[in-house]
Amino acid sequence: MKRIEFRRSLSYPYYPGVVFDADSGVCEITGESYMEEAYKFYFPLINWLKEFTENKNEKITLNIKLIYFNTSTTKCLLDMFEILKKYKNKGNEVEINWFYDKEDPDMIDEVKDFEKEAEIDIALKGF
Amino acid sequence: MDPKKNTQMEFFNKNTRNLFYYEGPFYIDLLTIFGNHLKIYTNSFPLAQKKLFKIYVELTQNVSYYSEEYILSKNDNRKIGMGEMQLADHQNQYYITTKNIVKLQDANILSQRCEIINSSSKEYLKELKRELRKSSPGEKYGARIGLVSAKLISRNNIDYSIIENDRKYSLFKITAKIDKNETY
Repeated sequence: MKRIEFRRSLSYPYYPGVVFDADSGVCEITGESYMEEAYKFYFPLINWLKEFTENKNEKITLNIKLIYFNTSTTKCLLDMFEILKKYKNKGNEVEINWFYDKEDPDMIDEVKDFEKEAEIDIALKGF
Repeated sequence: MDPKKNTQMEFFNKNTRNLFYYEGPFYIDLLTIFGNHLKIYTNSFPLAQKKLFKIYVELTQNVSYYSEEYILSKNDNRKIGMGEMQLADHQNQYYITTKNIVKLQDANILSQRCEIINSSSKEYLKELKRELRKSSPGEKYGARIGLVSAKLISRNNIDYSIIENDRKYSLFKITAKIDKNETY
């Protein structure tokens, strides 16, 4: 599977940094995410997760370190959690970590909402 | 009649300091520049700064997506909504205001939504947000979620007003207020 890597840029801070690596099974999304038409950005990431979960039986880890995301992004994140939930329900190991700024306690509410809506465990880790 | 005439964003009063004002197309790159200024102006109040930035993005992207006055992007012919925005420093609060043209009937719907949002509890609003996510089409969310988020994040009621000066269109003005000394 092709590795996806998208570096954050000061010119386009509304796009997050992304590394999706099939060899290690570790996927990371960092920074801010408030681009227009978020689904266009996240579509390849969602497809990558579908491909991984349909063809592999290895552990997958999703590390999210988003300090801000807009409402369009939330739908894309929920789509990703849905894929991972199905993979987990098939007996595979899934780890989702959400790294949040301890000075932004609103993020805890957001992540707990995600957990409730997606029905999947998300580990909160302050930084 | 052009409904934008005589509607320049007002300076509120002598207790309010205008930090920035903009009128024109809401390009995302431009919103990012203003967003950076917003962070700089408000960095003495870190939690308020974070809340303000989140609400600023939601409100300004609503204008960009849904304003009835727009230009077409040269690159991909996409609509870029036009409107006004203002950040103001008012004693113990920051005010973020947007104003844009909406259809007359949409203004009434938006007003009703604001009323519901303002009169609802935090738990109800969280549930409403989840419901709106589920019922929204896959590609786009409606402006409702942004308004719900503004209330949830600021924990203050949303101020809104409709300026009707056309039979088909109105100006919809919305202000979110963020307490500077926010505590959790």
